[in-house]
Amino acid sequence: MNTVIEAHGLEKHYGRVRALDGLELSVDAGEVHGFLGPNGAGKSTTIRVLLGLARADGGSATVFGQNPWTDAVELHKRIAYVPGDVSLWPNLSGGEAIDLLSRLRGGTNDKKAYTERKARLIEAFQLDPSKKGRSYSKGNRQKVALITAFASPADLYILDEPTSGLDPLMEGVFNQEIRRLASEGSTVLLSSHILSEVEQLCDRVTIIRAGKMVESGTLAELRHLTRTEVSFARNGLTDADIARIPSIHDVALDNGRARFTVDSDKITSLLPVLTELNVKGLRIAPPSLEELFLRHYGDELNPAEASLVPHASRKARRREAAQEASLR
Amino acid sequence: MSTLATLLLQRLRRDRLQLVIWIFGIALLALFSVSAVEKTYGDPAGRASILQLAVANPSILMLRGTPEGGGLDQFVFFEIFTFIAVLAGLMNTFLAVRHSRAEEESGRAELLAATPAGRTLPSVATIIYGALVNVAIGTFVALAFIAGGLDPKGSFIAGCATAAVGLTFLAVGLFAAQLMRTSRGANGVAAAAVTGAYVIRGIGDALATPAADHLNMTPAWWSWVSPIGWGQQTLAFDANNLTPLLLNLALTAALLALVFVLQGQRDSGASLLSGRLGRVDARSTLSTSLALAWRLQWPTVVGWCVGGALGGLLTGTLANAVSGAATADPTVEKVMASLIPGGKGSLVQLFISAIFVMVGVLAAACATQVIIRMRQEEVSGTAEQVLATRVSRVRWLVGYFTVGTASIVLVLLSGAVASALSALAVGDTSARVGDSFAAATAQLPAALLYLSALALVFVALPAWTVGLGWTLLGLGTVFGLFGGLVGMPEWLRNLSPFTHSPVPIGTSTDWSGGIWMLCIAVVVALAATATMTRRELNTA
Repeated sequence: MNTVIEAHGLEKHYGRVRALDGLELSVDAGEVHGFLGPNGAGKSTTIRVLLGLARADGGSATVFGQNPWTDAVELHKRIAYVPGDVSLWPNLSGGEAIDLLSRLRGGTNDKKAYTERKARLIEAFQLDPSKKGRSYSKGNRQKVALITAFASPADLYILDEPTSGLDPLMEGVFNQEIRRLASEGSTVLLSSHILSEVEQLCDRVTIIRAGKMVESGTLAELRHLTRTEVSFARNGLTDADIARIPSIHDVALDNGRARFTVDSDKITSLLPVLTELNVKGLRIAPPSLEELFLRHYGDELNPAEASLVPHASRKARRREAAQEASLR
Repeated sequence: MSTLATLLLQRLRRDRLQLVIWIFGIALLALFSVSAVEKTYGDPAGRASILQLAVANPSILMLRGTPEGGGLDQFVFFEIFTFIAVLAGLMNTFLAVRHSRAEEESGRAELLAATPAGRTLPSVATIIYGALVNVAIGTFVALAFIAGGLDPKGSFIAGCATAAVGLTFLAVGLFAAQLMRTSRGANGVAAAAVTGAYVIRGIGDALATPAADHLNMTPAWWSWVSPIGWGQQTLAFDANNLTPLLLNLALTAALLALVFVLQGQRDSGASLLSGRLGRVDARSTLSTSLALAWRLQWPTVVGWCVGGALGGLLTGTLANAVSGAATADPTVEKVMASLIPGGKGSLVQLFISAIFVMVGVLAAACATQVIIRMRQEEVSGTAEQVLATRVSRVRWLVGYFTVGTASIVLVLLSGAVASALSALAVGDTSARVGDSFAAATAQLPAALLYLSALALVFVALPAWTVGLGWTLLGLGTVFGLFGGLVGMPEWLRNLSPFTHSPVPIGTSTDWSGGIWMLCIAVVVALAATATMTRRELNTA
């Protein structure tokens, strides 16, 4: 079987709230799969269903071809999980929590190797394992969960926003570990609301919003989503000067600065022109996921939100829709 | 609106339901006891004879207080004030910790401290709020006594005494919150202080010297080192003396001053007794969900076991006194028999049973906390991590069941062992040892029923676990243990599992109630386990 996670038309209601509304998700063996969506989109709910901690109200979900609700224990032998909001036992030390959870997962049978793996990870993540759970910060609690997950081998790693409390240095360590897992052939489902994190690590990405899948594919396929914003001080440049810059979209010229967006793969072709214009205060920023959602899925926002979508990007959206249609 | 007013209203709004239950519960207890005393001991001669018995019986003095005269009003105060004081004390310590350490532990206090409210104003608000709550309790207790037809002046004094004791324990709770790092720890220390105050005045009252008329007693000095004792010494309905309450106020002021000194010194979230570092690696035994449940719960279990052992000690040391008192006057036996539903048998056996019903309540309370812990694990998210490993939902539940059962057995066992040892220590080698173990065994079914019933609540109505757990236990205790004393109707008393616990009286003991409860407990436990297979994780 080549597909590790398969979900079709997944539904989950909490009272009148539709947490999942016909969600589709497919993760292949051996890939690092980014699971993107704004807060409240249903990422954690999906993960809970996949772990058999919550039961789907409709649709189907399989993990390794098995039903996560009925075969939970069997599946958990192959899965390592890092929750989005890690809580620890207040009176157990971090080291104790790591050992306990690893033993419950059955990952400590190779006792000596486990001890070595644990020691290496504690060193890499710079964790003090003797502190009690109640005195750890959010980032340190997350480190405990990550060390636990990485200290025992698993076929599938489900990580729910694993870096939200880590500093950039520790994010680097985290990225290294994910690459190690990928090179060893494990499958990783990495949920996040930070696009750049997913871009660095993932082979394929699924984007969800309001409990539905809105995009799925390789990063190359989703390249049109990752349009970079460029801005610089006008500094006496005329509108005509700026119009000379090739392949730019969503141009906005106000008194002080010129702003526009560029397809991320065309950004290098832009640089000679910018050099020639001798621009000052140049700023090149990747788009945030929130901006993307506003730009690409603004139709689905409620009218109040939709009115916030800038006029210029409506045109871009139509173009996008055409582009999407041609992709399918 | 000023910041202080906002903080006060926030506290009031948060506690509104709890407050109503506590205040009216305490006032109703006062009202109930008046009507019960009127009904049972309406005529002065009967009261006088019962008081003369009490004077001769240290165990009654220990539980109730010292008599202060033969009038109906004075009798009511003697019978109920220490209970009211304990309830008011517990209400205040919970209130204090809820609005201090619990807030700090959860991080909410930090949110508030970052606003113009600062670090001190929330504490000031809690004190003012607590003081107002105590005024309300005092008022309602006084009104309840007046409504029951007691002397208004004495009722006012009794209300003042209740409020003053409550206020003292408000300060005790706030002080405990400064000492301990967790709300659990602070609640434990503060509740232990309430229990300690009750026990210390109990010793003083048990050692009291009777007056010539055998209707009055002068307590020993012990009673003067307990905040509850000070409340008793107002001698409401008799001397009506408010001056002992100055001691309550002085202790309150001293503790509050300490609270502000400590709070001014420390960081937000820190405590006087700071947490220690833990182990770098887990012990090799900590490798199953059962081991985890035990690891999380054993300190609490030890606490309840100490309580059980204290109860056991009481039977061992006091049984002789009881049997002596009974030889002196046969009415003691009647009073004891009224404590135990359907109780027959020797007085000593009845006395041991009466005390062990209370040990049984402790065991059930311990079991209740085990299930509540399971719910806390679920809400906090730690259960999610355990259940994401190869531990199944059912195995996780069974782990807590096992710990719950073991803790019940341990609490009852420590009571039985302490009772047997103390009986041996006073040179009583007779059947008392066997009676102790039989009385402990008799309490097993009711406690197990509480365990499995609450487990079913946890599985079926998770959000109700904590509230329903304590409510069921509280109602069962009031109906089963005190229902007879305050004259509740039979059907109400029959609702409590404790009413159906067997009373071991040698070979003719009727064990059927216990066997039935055991069967029901097993069926309920199986139902809970079966339902658990289909239950999802519920953190809401």
